[in-house]
Amino acid sequence: MSSLVAQLIVATLVAGTPLVYAALGELVVERAGVVNMGVEGMMVVGAVAAFAVAMATGSLGLGVLVAMAAGMLLSLLFAVLAVSFNANQVAVGLALTIFGTSLGSYLGKSYVGMALVVPPSGLGAAAADIPILGQLHPLVWLSWVLFTATWFFLYRTKYGLALRAVGESPASAHAIGYPVIRIRYLATLFGGALAGIAGAYVSLVYTALWTEGLIAGRGWIAVALVVFATWRPGRCLAGAYLFGGATMAQLFAQSAGVGLPSELMSALPYLATIVVLALISRDETMMRLNVPASLGKPFSI
Amino acid sequence: MPLHFEARTKPSAKMVWLAPATALALTAAAAMIVFASAGLDPVQALATFVLSPLSDWYGVGELLIKATPMILIGVGLSIGFRAGVWNIGAEGQLTIGAIFAGYLALRFGPGDGIWVLPSMIVAAVAGGMLWAAIPALLRTMFNASEILVSLMLNYVAQLWLSWLVFGAWRDPAGFNFPQSEPLAPAALLPVIIEGTRANISVVFALVAVALGWILVGRSFVGFQLRVTGLSSGVARYAGFSPHRAVWIGMFAGGAAAGLAGVGEIAGPLGQIFPTVSSGYGYAAIIVAFLGRLHPVGVLLSGLLMALIYLGGDSAQMSLGLPSAISGLLQSLLLFFLLAADVLVQYRIRYAPRGRSALGAAA
Amino acid sequence: MTGSTRRHFLKTTAAAALATGAGYRPAWAAEEVLKVGVIHMGAISDTGWEHYQAQAWRALETAYPGKVKVTVLENIAQIQDCERLFRQLSTQGNKLIFGTTFSQYASLKKLAPTLTGSHFECCAGIEAGRNLGVFEARQYEGTYLTGIAAGRMTKSNILGWVGAFPVPQVIYSLNAFLLGARSVNPAATLKVVWANAWVDPAKEKDAVAALVAQGADVLSGSPNTPVQGLAAEEKGVWSIGSTGDFSAYVRKKQLTSFELDWSSAHLGAAKAVIEGNWKPESRWLGLGAGGFLKMTTSSPDLPASVAAEMKAAEAAIVSGTLKPFAGPLKDQSGAPKVAAGAALPDQEIRTMTWLVEGVQGTLPRT
Repeated sequence: MSSLVAQLIVATLVAGTPLVYAALGELVVERAGVVNMGVEGMMVVGAVAAFAVAMATGSLGLGVLVAMAAGMLLSLLFAVLAVSFNANQVAVGLALTIFGTSLGSYLGKSYVGMALVVPPSGLGAAAADIPILGQLHPLVWLSWVLFTATWFFLYRTKYGLALRAVGESPASAHAIGYPVIRIRYLATLFGGALAGIAGAYVSLVYTALWTEGLIAGRGWIAVALVVFATWRPGRCLAGAYLFGGATMAQLFAQSAGVGLPSELMSALPYLATIVVLALISRDETMMRLNVPASLGKPFSI
Repeated sequence: MPLHFEARTKPSAKMVWLAPATALALTAAAAMIVFASAGLDPVQALATFVLSPLSDWYGVGELLIKATPMILIGVGLSIGFRAGVWNIGAEGQLTIGAIFAGYLALRFGPGDGIWVLPSMIVAAVAGGMLWAAIPALLRTMFNASEILVSLMLNYVAQLWLSWLVFGAWRDPAGFNFPQSEPLAPAALLPVIIEGTRANISVVFALVAVALGWILVGRSFVGFQLRVTGLSSGVARYAGFSPHRAVWIGMFAGGAAAGLAGVGEIAGPLGQIFPTVSSGYGYAAIIVAFLGRLHPVGVLLSGLLMALIYLGGDSAQMSLGLPSAISGLLQSLLLFFLLAADVLVQYRIRYAPRGRSALGAAA
Repeated sequence: MTGSTRRHFLKTTAAAALATGAGYRPAWAAEEVLKVGVIHMGAISDTGWEHYQAQAWRALETAYPGKVKVTVLENIAQIQDCERLFRQLSTQGNKLIFGTTFSQYASLKKLAPTLTGSHFECCAGIEAGRNLGVFEARQYEGTYLTGIAAGRMTKSNILGWVGAFPVPQVIYSLNAFLLGARSVNPAATLKVVWANAWVDPAKEKDAVAALVAQGADVLSGSPNTPVQGLAAEEKGVWSIGSTGDFSAYVRKKQLTSFELDWSSAHLGAAKAVIEGNWKPESRWLGLGAGGFLKMTTSSPDLPASVAAEMKAAEAAIVSGTLKPFAGPLKDQSGAPKVAAGAALPDQEIRTMTWLVEGVQGTLPRT
């Protein structure tokens, strides 16, 4: 039974990783006061780009880098429209999702049905001896490194303070000399890069295959997750594994002969997010502690 | 950066309508680049894309029936959007409309009652409003963002429908496939153009446009909503309740989306499937923006978006291009419009070494 | 399955076809190029269902070089669009038009009688109608054979199945899989997990992890992608290609496989249209010449004795002496469903909504 628990844990870590990347990226964007709902689109393009490059060069690392670049390119488009031109963030994000999904399926046409030969996962012989964690792919480990770095950046550096200040009140941040627009650009680009990695993880590591519908709404779950986590990185990490683990637990239960209403299980993350949102929003102190005050509001000098 | 943006004192009236035209031209240009890069004659391909879906009356009917849900929802949403109420849950509200109407259709449709169809329509509108009431309530009671709540509820609605169609509503004669029985004739909307699928819901959309136009341009409520959208502080000072704006905005979108939902199952679908919309609720947001949140604009942009959908299928059929081209062009159209919109609010000036907010980043 | 049931089945449907099909015969000149239209609901890219549908019209192009022109539409996911596009294909002069999934059946059933300029065929439809033929594969014949391999190779006596949706095709396939396994290994059991998606590769991978964690060591399922096989390989357990051969992806651990082969449906319909004697028929075919299933590659690690056992069973199925759903059969709860000496009739197989004894798992809401 302990090996069953161990396998459930590993499976949850593996399933939660794309959510960790995507949600962590979106969290930083939203902490800077910008809502980019185009995560799904950026993930799709990241997945295609990574797969194409890995097929052409045989290098997973290069694939991940190109996916980051592709995600950043899309997020740059978002930033120009939403941050510089002050266009409605919801509209731009939505269009970005449609754009990314369509572009992905357009560009992915020629990579359809191709198999990527997956190199053995894990950190090599040294890590293989570590129980449970040794079997995980380096990108899973990298997500923890990135999480720690992001947490440290947000709460322990002056740059993180500046970013949070911009999300709270861009006007006062501007008044004390922070480059509001530049910070929002950088945050948006960071979100794009992480969404790109999230996509790359799915197409390179998770399935080693490109097909339409590969991302299957995981980008939207990431958007929900940031709210669920009340814009805190630690809760975001836990939430990613909770959301990933909910699916796994349901599948494990099924294979043990216990049928759970799958639609209800699938709806839980969204319902939980609504409840969390209602709970924190009703209380002004909670709001001040949790929600970036200028979330979604454009800023111009 | 020698070019610099200078805020206009008031939005340029000319640019308000010039911007969509520019966006349309740019989108057409982008389409031609895509066609050319696929080795096609760009002009001919564009003509195929735009004209071939409309080569006969049937095609025109298809355009209308495709545009109808987007126009309906677009009109409903823009009423809220004008007041700064961001309902992005139309997809879910449409689904709930289909569920409410679908229940009546499956339960009473075979009885052939004359009242079945009207009650389905009422139920669908009520269902859409009910689903929209959840974010409205959470917003007015708890201050929860209606953007996020309505988005989450899209998934919940979709899963609810899927639960029904995979379970209780599955057609016993349908080999266990996830779909309901075909709706009885009494539960289907009557066709208004002989030989096409264009049904009475096209008329509903036109009525919605007219109602929206009256509400937005000719009524005191419309004025209140607009003021609320511009500044909630001013609105409160003038005695207009921001909560009321939230309720009106959400209800308008929910009612329209619910109506679109019954239009789908009692129209082109004629049956209930696990997915009844696949994206009209989101597309309508683009339609609302393209139409400048104005009912007449929404009418035009809805037709345009529908044409791009049909054109994408034609492109696949006659030009061998992936149908993903529809989504690409629709999203590009919105990108171009939002970019062009900057000219509504700002004037571009040549100013060497000028400092500006936008110039710093762009 | 060339037994009396099938022959009777074909005879009655052919008779029905004759009765209803007369009068719908577009004029045809031999020198003309036959225009064929196909609407795929999903992307051909999915390497599974639509991929094998596409193989069929590709076979048509190969068989009639220059004589057949196929127009293909894919990703027509909105059922609202089907009617328009089928009609458009017909008005553009396509004489033979195929739908690839059951979801298109309702549209076609409504449309086919009115568009008499074309003939229609729908894969996985319920029954032939006016101007509409249907065809579907007896997938359970394939899974019965692969079940034999699974039953012989399992060490834990636990087999695993990843189901897309609990539709009868999937249910009878997994039931026959276990019955095949039990025919050689009565101790075998089958664990079932539902992905509740036709295409969600990542979730299929999760499902495999869940099954392997519970001790399953030979996996199969109703996949649209090779992901299950790849995931099983990663876990070091066997996988079986069901309705598709994924040995090009799953290099080491694909035990055996069978494939869907719809080419005879497309070739037969095209030939009939060209010769002017097309009739709406309902075909439900399995293994054997001209059938819709064929056994494909097996791993070199599959013992020759097991391969021989599968061959023998295949011959017996084709000749009709072996019926996978022959009694005595009990359902999951142990209640008798088929008496000894009897076999489940076709109609009951096609509408199967119960799981055989030894399957561990539930049918979501049936």
